[in-house]
Amino acid sequence: MMHESAKIPTRRAYSDRMAERGESDPDFAVFESDIGYSTYSYLFGDRFPERYFNFGIAELSTMAAAAGMASTGRRVIVSGYGVFLTMRALEVVRSFICYPKLNVKLLSSHGGLTAAIDGVTHQATEDIAFMTTLPNMKVLCPADPVAARAACDLALDTPGPVFTRLMRDPLFELYGTEEEFHIGGSKTLRQGGDVAILSYGDLVFKALLAADRLAALGIEARVLDLYSVKPWDREAVFAAAGECGAILVVENHQRRNGLGYEIATTLLKAGSCLPFDNLGLDDTFAESGNYHEMLDEYGLGPASITAAAERLVAAKKGRA
Amino acid sequence: MKLEERARELEAKARELRFHIVDMVHAAQSGHCGGSLSAADIVTALYFEFLNIDPANPDKGDRDRFVLSKGHACPVQYAALALRGFFPVAELRSLRAMHSRLQGHPVQGKLPGIEVTTGSLGVGICEAVGLALEARLRKASWRVWAVLGDGELGEGAVWEAAQAATKFGLDNLIAVVDNNGLQNDGYCRDILPLRSIPDKFRAFGWAVLEMDGHDMEDILRTFGKALLITGSPVCVVAKTVKGKGVSFMEDKRDWHGKAPNAEQYAQAVAEIKGGPA
Repeated sequence: MMHESAKIPTRRAYSDRMAERGESDPDFAVFESDIGYSTYSYLFGDRFPERYFNFGIAELSTMAAAAGMASTGRRVIVSGYGVFLTMRALEVVRSFICYPKLNVKLLSSHGGLTAAIDGVTHQATEDIAFMTTLPNMKVLCPADPVAARAACDLALDTPGPVFTRLMRDPLFELYGTEEEFHIGGSKTLRQGGDVAILSYGDLVFKALLAADRLAALGIEARVLDLYSVKPWDREAVFAAAGECGAILVVENHQRRNGLGYEIATTLLKAGSCLPFDNLGLDDTFAESGNYHEMLDEYGLGPASITAAAERLVAAKKGRA
Repeated sequence: MKLEERARELEAKARELRFHIVDMVHAAQSGHCGGSLSAADIVTALYFEFLNIDPANPDKGDRDRFVLSKGHACPVQYAALALRGFFPVAELRSLRAMHSRLQGHPVQGKLPGIEVTTGSLGVGICEAVGLALEARLRKASWRVWAVLGDGELGEGAVWEAAQAATKFGLDNLIAVVDNNGLQNDGYCRDILPLRSIPDKFRAFGWAVLEMDGHDMEDILRTFGKALLITGSPVCVVAKTVKGKGVSFMEDKRDWHGKAPNAEQYAQAVAEIKGGPA
């Protein structure tokens, strides 16, 4: 496992792979709504102009036209910002893509608070709730450039709609190029038996930083990268619950209706009643500001994760 | 065959469509008569004269694509598909029932001949743009015909699609506006005034034709002209009457989404079968 600073953000990595793959895979098209130089979808458009369609600032019709093209079976990647893809075009995604199970793949940039500096209108902090709630939709959230390239391949190789949440800012490199990913999979990045920290996307790194702090306090935290948000890796999560006895889900998203809610419900239904917490935006909007400072401010930085994990470990001991 | 003779045949076919529209909505005690009846002549002409389709091979690759953007009028499409042989006519009475393939609004994959899922207004014309682009990608010669309501033109997405169709030069796309002048809550001119539909589409770069949407000869001539236009998408504005063919439904807001009772059904059927064309 590497821990180097990444040179490119996951949005760029996905688009890089999309443009590369265009050479060997002549059958998919890419739809854009005038933010191609931000999502990097232009990299595909420069190489394959005949199957790159820029609809201008018109996200709803872009998505619906993608549905029309995909109704013939063709795979279409729709590129955009999370707030527009998952809210302005939500009804189209639901009724005209997920319902008929079309091969539309969403390249969704600026997930969570990575658009921190742009302010709330550009921060997709409810996207996971919307997308995971839709029948037939699969949801990926890669944590690093290697995982983002893999997500592009998984999306194109998996029948039906696939949403991939990508980040604006370059973060860290976690995975070697030989790493393999699959729908429903996860990665255990750090072993530990005192508490399990489950996360996806950019906050995986914050979880790893928190695990270092916890180790200094004598607490061994297991850290899972749930890059496949829907479906998620039940086997790994149940193993973590059984072996660690405490679960902390950390999401760059509203706490409400995020993956934490889903995991908590599933554990409860399975009869597992253990110390549990989930970190995320606590029924609030954020604001403009520096990305990392914003995460700290809203309780998603290493200090908050460390404190929450400590509380869970204490609760576990209180029960023993 | 002369155009006039063909028009008489299609008028008879349109009566059959109208009968089944009223019949299935009566059976379901739910559905949209008014907008189905206003589009009946347009849809008859398309399914029985213009569309390159094959009921024995509904998925054949080079078929024309029909998109009912005003999806609530699906009884007219279901009737056309059944009469054209895509599925048994007897199945029409299962409209909107549990486990029926005839969903409340058209659903791709449920029923042979339904190309895309529609029902939310403004979306079908966007899907039609995607289908027309697909034809270009495949270098295929098929056309996309979309039927829109006039109330539907209030949706911003229609105008997004209209701009995209012009940008991409989609001369394989023909949009027919069923201009019956009524929408759910009243006359379009009162709910959201449209001003000139032809002028609007012209301003968006489309070629525009106008016709009487209940004059079969005019429909045949106009659609024939539409097929000859190259270089831009084509909009055919069809002047129609909501509820056309059933006197007490004609131009009545109340018949947008209402089912006839037994007495009304009997009168409607008598008018459709016996009345003037």
